[in-house]
Amino acid sequence: MQGASQIRLTVNRRTHVLTVGHAAADVDPADTLAHTLRHVLGLTGTKVSCDRGACGMCTVLLDGRAVLSCTLLTVECDGCSVVTVEGLVDPQTGALHPLQQSFVDHTAFQCGFCTPGILMSAKALLDENPVPTLAEVQEALAGNHCRCITHYHVLEAVQDAAGRIREAAPAGAVGTTEPSAGDAAPPVAPGTAGKTG
Amino acid sequence: MRPFRHVRARTVEEACALLVEPGARARANAGGTDLLGALKDGIYPEPPDVVVDLKSIPGLDAIEAEDAELRVGALARLADIARSESVRTRWPIFAQAAQAVASPQIRNMATLGGNLCQEVRCWYFRYPAGLGGSIDCLRKGGPRCPAVKGDTRYHAIFEGRGCFAVCPSDTAVALAALDAAAVIEGPGGRRELPVQDLYTPLGTVLEPGEILTAVRVPPPDDGSQSVFLKFTVREPIDFAVVSVAASITLQEGACTDARLVLGAVGPRPYRALEAEARLIGAPVDDQAAAEAAEEAVAGAKPLRGNAYKVPLIRSLVGRAILAAVEG
Repeated sequence: MQGASQIRLTVNRRTHVLTVGHAAADVDPADTLAHTLRHVLGLTGTKVSCDRGACGMCTVLLDGRAVLSCTLLTVECDGCSVVTVEGLVDPQTGALHPLQQSFVDHTAFQCGFCTPGILMSAKALLDENPVPTLAEVQEALAGNHCRCITHYHVLEAVQDAAGRIREAAPAGAVGTTEPSAGDAAPPVAPGTAGKTG
Repeated sequence: MRPFRHVRARTVEEACALLVEPGARARANAGGTDLLGALKDGIYPEPPDVVVDLKSIPGLDAIEAEDAELRVGALARLADIARSESVRTRWPIFAQAAQAVASPQIRNMATLGGNLCQEVRCWYFRYPAGLGGSIDCLRKGGPRCPAVKGDTRYHAIFEGRGCFAVCPSDTAVALAALDAAAVIEGPGGRRELPVQDLYTPLGTVLEPGEILTAVRVPPPDDGSQSVFLKFTVREPIDFAVVSVAASITLQEGACTDARLVLGAVGPRPYRALEAEARLIGAPVDDQAAAEAAEEAVAGAKPLRGNAYKVPLIRSLVGRAILAAVEG
């Protein structure tokens, strides 16, 4: 059975139907999600550094989970929803996400190359755990490396952002709808939604 | 990566058939965190022209904990194993070992089957084609193992034969200590074997067309306590330099059963049988733990660059035994 000739990929709430093939505008079966995001969809906010799954620069959210887009085949993301750093701003107002604003306010970057990946790992953490301890923030960011040593500022920025998100949310709205972490929440496998465009 | 045809399998039978399709060199892909790195580095002398996605097979990612056993599908994500309430409660070293792997992002992608069947990390085996050509070592069908006369700091000190790469899987070590079985399906049907017997000095026992589909873990013995310890150079991302899984059963103060399994010291999880025997039948105290730790390294045959693993094992085994009995 040949793979689907088209795949459907939702990126930052916008659905793209992409043709699988070897032409210039196509998604090649060997293309990684990072490649497709940057070179087909023009979303260059996602960075590629080691390109081997070790550094965390290319972190995006795939169906809500932080994953490494350099180590995922785009054709295996058929039917999935992706959020990149470009998807963090408020689509109505264009305002920065509280995490982004907090990073600005804490100067939580130097060269900034690792920042998009750190933001996405932090977003995945706060979506699941709105009140993380320092140790939980450290653990969530353990797969994101920064050679400028901005870690101390990043940890402050993430914890501050968590507070800002809680303050901005209506009372009781944060932390009550998170999915169960037990067996009742089955793993979401990319592409098992089975859409074939 | 070299171009390949990509197929999303819908059933185990279809995947098995695709892997042995005449005229095609096919490789199975699950989480992709191991295969894509290997393909990008061009380490295979005969790279695949077909990649078979297993993630599209429904139902192979289930974590089912019942009284009689725990059954985990090969496509279960390490992150889901690590945070499964029932795994954490009843088989804690399995959850700890899953949590000890790599980074949060990789655990969100990597599967149990992939963690068990991943390629070794030996730097000769993994040497990238883009840096002067990949190395045709014994494991790839080449004439010899370059590690023997090379840098062996991360290589085997037990059971190496021809190839001295170590099994890099953390979950295999915990599963071996839990007496787990690997379920394999293929053209010849279905078979099961102990997890540690998945490995040979040159690879796995999987025949062409065979896929690891699940792991079955028996319930823990009453009164058993277990610990998983992993020594790494840094904390996140790193593979184990040495790891230990200890499961010890105490009844009325005496040890009635013990399983001590070492990781990253040989081509498969290494059971320290003499050390286990030293513990059984007596109370577990500092003296017993120290003697068992000495037994654990008795058969070690270090290469010229990795004798440092011997004292590491001694320390980790002693610590694991005492931590297990102290709960």
